[in-house]
Amino acid sequence: MQDHPEDNPPKEGVSRRSFLQGAGVAAAAAGISRLPAEALAEERAAADLKELGPGAGKITLNVNGGSKSASAPPSTTLLDFLRNDLGVTGPKRVCDRGSCGACTVLLDGQVVDSCSMLAVDAVGKEITTVEGIGTPDNLSHLQKAFIEKDALQCGFCTPGMVVTCTAMLKENPNPTRDEIRQGLSGNLCRCGTYQNIIEAVEHASRTGGK
Amino acid sequence: MAQEITIKVGFGGQFRELTVRIQDDDVKPWQPEDRLHLIGDSLPRVDAAAKVTGTAKYAYDQQPAGMIYGKILRSPHANADIVSIDTDKASRMPGVKAVLKVPDIFEDKSARYAGAEIAAVAAETEAQAEAALRAIEVEYDIKPHCVTVEDSRKEGAPQVGRGGQQNVARISPRMGRRGGGNGDSRLARQEAAVKEIIDQADVAVEGEFRTEVQTHAPLETHGGVCTWEDGRLIFWASSQATFGFRNEMTSNWSRVKAKECQVLSEYVGGGFGSKFSAGREGVLGALLSKEAGVPVHMMLNRSEEQLSAGNRPDSIQQMKMGVSKDGEILGTRIRSWGTPGTGTGGAGAHNDGIYNIGETDKIEYGVRTNTGGARAHRAPGWPQGAFALEQMMDMAAEGIGMDRVEFRKKNDDHPIRKVEYDIAKQRIGWDQKRPVKGPGIKRKGVGMASNLWFSAGGGGASALVRITKDGQVEVRNGSQDIGTGTRTVMGMVVAEELGLDLDQVTTRIGNTDDPKGPASGGSTTIGTVTPAARLAAHHAKRQLLEIVAERKGWIASELDLKDQEVYKVGEGSLNLNFKDACALMDDDAIEVLKGRPRRNYEGFSDTNAGVQAALVEVDEETGEVRVEKVVAVADAGKIINPMTSESQVRGGVIQGVSFALFERRVMDRQKGRMLNDDLENYKILGAADCPEIDVVLLDVYNGKSNTQVMGLGEPPIVATAAAVANAVSDALGVRIYDLPITPKKVLEAIAKRDAARGTSEKKGERL
Repeated sequence: MQDHPEDNPPKEGVSRRSFLQGAGVAAAAAGISRLPAEALAEERAAADLKELGPGAGKITLNVNGGSKSASAPPSTTLLDFLRNDLGVTGPKRVCDRGSCGACTVLLDGQVVDSCSMLAVDAVGKEITTVEGIGTPDNLSHLQKAFIEKDALQCGFCTPGMVVTCTAMLKENPNPTRDEIRQGLSGNLCRCGTYQNIIEAVEHASRTGGK
Repeated sequence: MAQEITIKVGFGGQFRELTVRIQDDDVKPWQPEDRLHLIGDSLPRVDAAAKVTGTAKYAYDQQPAGMIYGKILRSPHANADIVSIDTDKASRMPGVKAVLKVPDIFEDKSARYAGAEIAAVAAETEAQAEAALRAIEVEYDIKPHCVTVEDSRKEGAPQVGRGGQQNVARISPRMGRRGGGNGDSRLARQEAAVKEIIDQADVAVEGEFRTEVQTHAPLETHGGVCTWEDGRLIFWASSQATFGFRNEMTSNWSRVKAKECQVLSEYVGGGFGSKFSAGREGVLGALLSKEAGVPVHMMLNRSEEQLSAGNRPDSIQQMKMGVSKDGEILGTRIRSWGTPGTGTGGAGAHNDGIYNIGETDKIEYGVRTNTGGARAHRAPGWPQGAFALEQMMDMAAEGIGMDRVEFRKKNDDHPIRKVEYDIAKQRIGWDQKRPVKGPGIKRKGVGMASNLWFSAGGGGASALVRITKDGQVEVRNGSQDIGTGTRTVMGMVVAEELGLDLDQVTTRIGNTDDPKGPASGGSTTIGTVTPAARLAAHHAKRQLLEIVAERKGWIASELDLKDQEVYKVGEGSLNLNFKDACALMDDDAIEVLKGRPRRNYEGFSDTNAGVQAALVEVDEETGEVRVEKVVAVADAGKIINPMTSESQVRGGVIQGVSFALFERRVMDRQKGRMLNDDLENYKILGAADCPEIDVVLLDVYNGKSNTQVMGLGEPPIVATAAAVANAVSDALGVRIYDLPITPKKVLEAIAKRDAARGTSEKKGERL
C-alpha cells in the first residue's frame, strides 16, 4: 500500500511530509491545509529534515509502468510535471482548477485531477495517463468503442474522458445510463460528445474486454 | 469554359432533372442511381485512434527544443489609458528572455476592458514568466466604465470609445421590400408603413426578449507555439484559419512582418468561430520568440480565454408582429441592441430570417461596453435571433388560435423544411397528451423551432492528390479540422473516386505549405475542400488510367477504378488491381493539383434548412428545467459520413441547450470585471444534463458542386434554445423572455402566472 508515502519514503525525490516542511504554510494552505503550520514546524524540528524548494529538485515518478525523472520545483503540479517536464502531453490543461477533468489521470487506479495535486504527492504511486491505457497499435476495448461510436470531435477532452471511463468500468463493469452520466460529471466537453461517450461506455460494457 | 450536363436534384426519392453548366474539367455530381462504395457510410474518423490515445499533438502540446513560456499582463481596470509601463525590473528577473510593451506594438494606449493586453514576457518557466508579470509597473489613468448595455445606453454614460465615438451606433437599417438607401426619412416612412400594417392586422403580438453573452470556451485555449528558423516563422497554432493566421504574420499590415511563415494546425481543440485571428497573443508570441531567439509557448490560460478570446454578443430584441386570422404574417417591427465589447459591429440578431415575416421595419444597434470583444460564434446572431423570432411565432399562432406547426408551415416556403416539420412532430410525439406528474408539480411541454443556413462553400480551395508507383495515395489540403471531421471526409471523397478503402488514403491537413484551403467559417469548409479533393483525385485517376491503357493496349476512356481494381465500364473486371496498375508508371508518382470552381453551380437549393423539436420537463416546485429530448431534423446537401454528421448536429444541440439553460457572462458593474472567467462559475452543459438527441439526416442531391456537400457546424445550434424556450412555455402556460432559463426565472414566471389566474381567467398570458 502506498497510501502513506511518508511511512515508506522513496529512494529519491521527496515525500509529502518533507515537501510540506519545505514549502511551508502557503503550500499547505493550497493543498493540505489540515496540517497546521505549528505542527509542521514541530515535526521538522523533531525529524531534522532538510528543507526542499523553492528551487528545483529531482522528482521521480512511476508513469505508465516506467520510472521517469526530471528536475522541477516542489511546487510543480502533477499535470505540469507530466506535460512540461516529462513530455507526457496526453493529459490536458483546460481549466487548471479541477472543474473540467481534461487532466484526469489514474493514481493507483483512482481518478484524480492532475492539475490540482502536486507532483511530489504522486511519488511512489502508479500513475496512468491516457498513453498508458492503450496505443494506436494496441487499443483498449474502451478506446475502440470510443472510435466506433465517434465519441470525440476536437479530441481535447478525450484523454480525460478515456481515463475517467476506464476507471468507471473497472469499478462498475455494468453501469446504467444514469451511472455513466454521473460518472462523467467531472469531465466537460465543449463539442458535445456526451451522448456518444455514453454509447461508447455502454458498448464497451456490453462487449466486456480489457 | 463550361460543359453542359443534366443532373438529378432533390431528396427523399423525389428528384427532378436539371441541365446545368459546370466547369469544363469538373466531374458530374454523384447521382441518386450511382452505386457508391463509401459515400454515405458511417466510417470512424481517420484521426480517432490518435485522439483516444493522447498521441494527437495539439498546438498546446508542442515542445520544440529550447522552448520557453510567454505570458501576458492584462489590465485590471475596465476603462483606462496607459500612462506608463516600466518593465526594467521584470526584464532583470530570473529566467526572463524577452519583454514587450503592448502600446509599442499595437499603437493603442488604451485599456478599454478588464483583461486588455498591456505587456508580455517570455521566460524559461511559466512560474518565472508569471513572477516577471507581477514585477511590471503600470501607471493607469483610470476612467469611469460601463459594462452592460443598459448602463452604456443611459444618458451621460461614461464614454467607452475614444475620440468622438458614441456608445450606441445603428448597425443595420433593413429597409424591407419597399426600401432602399439608409436615409433617416426612408426609415421613418418604413416605420410608419409597418406600424400601419400591424395596427390594421387581425391580431398583433409583441415581446421583448433578452439573451446573455455566451463565451466560446473551446477546451484548447487560443495561442500556439512558435519559432524562427532563418527568418522563417514556424507557428503551431490553435487556429481555425491556417492561411488567415499566416497572413497575419506575413502581410504588409502585419505587426510581425515575417518574410515567410508556416502555420501548422494538425489538431485543434475546438474553435466555434473564435479562432479565425491570430489575435494579440499570436502576434506577441511571434515577437517574443523573435526577441528571445528561442521557441515560445504562448497559450492563454482559462481566465484569459474567457475574458478576451471572444464571445457571442448579448441581445435585447423588441419585436411586434401583425398577423391575419388565416395565419399570414403581414408585418414585423424589430428593434434590437447588443454589445460586442468595445466596438459596435457584429451585435445584430437574425430575427428576421427563416420565415416570411411580411413587411419589415428593423433597426439594430451595436452598443459599446467595457467588456471583452465578441467574435464570430457558431452561427453568429442566429441562436439569439431565433430565440426571439420563434417565441413570436408561437405567440402569434396562439393569438389566432392556430396550431403552432401549421402556422410555421404557412409562413415558410423552404422546400426541405416543409418535409422536416412533420418528421420532427412525429418523432417528438407532438400530439401526445402529457399528463402532469404528481399534484401539479412536474409539467411537460414541447416546442419547435427552425434553422436556416448557407453552407455550400465556394472558391478558394485546392487539393493535391498524389498516387505513387507503389500504390500509396495521399491527399493534401492546408486548411484545418477543428473537430468537424473534414480530414476524414476529404479522405472518403478521394477513396470513393479511386475505388479504394478509406485506410488506403493518407490525408494531410493543417499545414500552410500545402494547397490553400478556407477558414473553418460559415460551415463552408467541407463544401469548399471536398470538390477540390474529388476533382484532383479524378484527374489523378485519369492519368493513371491513361498509363494503364497505353501499357495494356486498352482504351483509357473505357476504363475506371472500382473495388481496388481496374475495370472496363459496362463490362467488368480486367484482373488488374490498383497496386499493379500503379506499378505500370514510369515515374515515381502522379501528382495532380486542382482548384475548386469559384462558384457553386445552379442547383436545388442554396440553403440548408432544419427543424428541431424539444421535449422538456419543468419542476414547478424547484423551477428546474430538464430537456429530456431534442429531435433535430437536419439536411446538409449530400451526407458523406452520417456518423460524423450526426455528431456535428448533436454538438450544436448540446451547445444550444447549454445556451438555453446555463450560459451567462456575469459582469461586476462596480468593478467592471467578468466574475465568472472560469469553468466552474461559467456553466456549460455536462453529461448529467445532456438530453437524448434524436438526429434525422436528410440526404439532398443539391447539385451545387461535384460532391454536393454542405457544412453542418452552425445550422443545428440555431433552433435549439428557441425550441427549448417554446417547450418551457408550453409546459408552464407562461412565457419566459430571458435566457438562460434559470430556476429563479421559472419560479418568478409561475408566480406571475398564478397571480394572474387568481385575478382573471384570461388565457393569453403576458408577463
